[in-house]
Amino acid sequence: MLTEFTTSALAGYLVISGILLVIGLIGFFVRRNLIIMFLCTELIFIGAAIAFVAVGRYLFDYSGQVMVIFILTVAAAEAALALALVVLLHRQRDTLDADVYAELRE
Amino acid sequence: MLALTVFAALRPSPPTMRIGMIVAGVAVAGWLVGLVTGAVAESGGSTHGVFFLIFGLSAVGAAIRMVSHDRPIYCALHFVLVVIATAGLLLLLEAEFMAFALIIVYAGAILITYMFVLMLANQADNPDELRTDSVFDQLPREPASAVAVGFLMLCLVTGSVMSGSSSLPQPNNANAQWTTLEHLPKQFEASVEALDPSFHWPPVASDEGPLIRHDGDGAFIISGEGVRLQLNTDMLPRNTQQVGWTLVNDYPVSLELAGVILLMAMFGAAVLARRAIELTDREKRAVLTAHDSTSSSEAEGD
Repeated sequence: MLTEFTTSALAGYLVISGILLVIGLIGFFVRRNLIIMFLCTELIFIGAAIAFVAVGRYLFDYSGQVMVIFILTVAAAEAALALALVVLLHRQRDTLDADVYAELRE
Repeated sequence: MLALTVFAALRPSPPTMRIGMIVAGVAVAGWLVGLVTGAVAESGGSTHGVFFLIFGLSAVGAAIRMVSHDRPIYCALHFVLVVIATAGLLLLLEAEFMAFALIIVYAGAILITYMFVLMLANQADNPDELRTDSVFDQLPREPASAVAVGFLMLCLVTGSVMSGSSSLPQPNNANAQWTTLEHLPKQFEASVEALDPSFHWPPVASDEGPLIRHDGDGAFIISGEGVRLQLNTDMLPRNTQQVGWTLVNDYPVSLELAGVILLMAMFGAAVLARRAIELTDREKRAVLTAHDSTSSSEAEGD
């Protein structure tokens, strides 16, 4: 039986999820290793998942946990595609430095 | 202060500065502990608050170390720590199924893929040389502006959470948990039978529709003869049943779309991998004409 869930407890979970999301964002901008950049997007997904489950718990609604299933799906698909691309790029240039691939934007 | 810690952790630094950084990090952690303990003491939770502190702080600490560590394998291992701490937070939120699904899918499947590619890409040229650090892993790209923008955004998020959470509507639909039980007729009947064998099945629906009615004491059902039976909260469907029912009942199209996304990802990865072999064939020919001995042996290995 789910019991009452106070708004201050909800705020704690939302702040934790916000911190994880922002750290993932900073990591994505700051790191230059392609694989670590994609790992940081997974951190952003984790932060979003905590927010979904916390708000769903507050509203006694299981849709929040269902959203986490979809987040897991998107994360798995993203990991498969991104890592295939990274392996492809690594075979061409033999480096994981994102700056080396800066010419791709043109 | 947290912003300063993240900024300091991102810079490559000499050992003395690292010790100072650790002291500063501990101080920040202590300050956060005090802050959150105050918030928890207000809410009155005891063990819940302690575990929330442990899992939350370890998640944030491991995340900071993950984006600041200069060796990619250790970044991935710190991410596993973040996932485990997050699973602990989900357990505190009574989302048991999602907690273990997160560990199985993230720490078990996705992280293995990342580790596999990391080890594939970071092979040492010389087997005797253990550290294969590269310069681009140690030098961050514009840490100051990234941290400033990131924490500006965090201030916005925190501010809106703090000011908005008190004006949230108080949820009054705690009784909605019982509606799932009505959709599971066999389990409903079996649990009613176990609770009171003399109850005359089936119960009668109220005028508004639902079989299970609510009042101040909790949920109850009424049989055809007008006998009232108070329902026990042990009869509620478990977390996994609730999540599964919500998934299939409320989001059937999204479920199909998720399957299509996974199928397309599989096709995409297969197509990319096939093209990779063609590229290396062309590369091998180009390399052979250029008489580059080291690259040609690597291309033949592919």
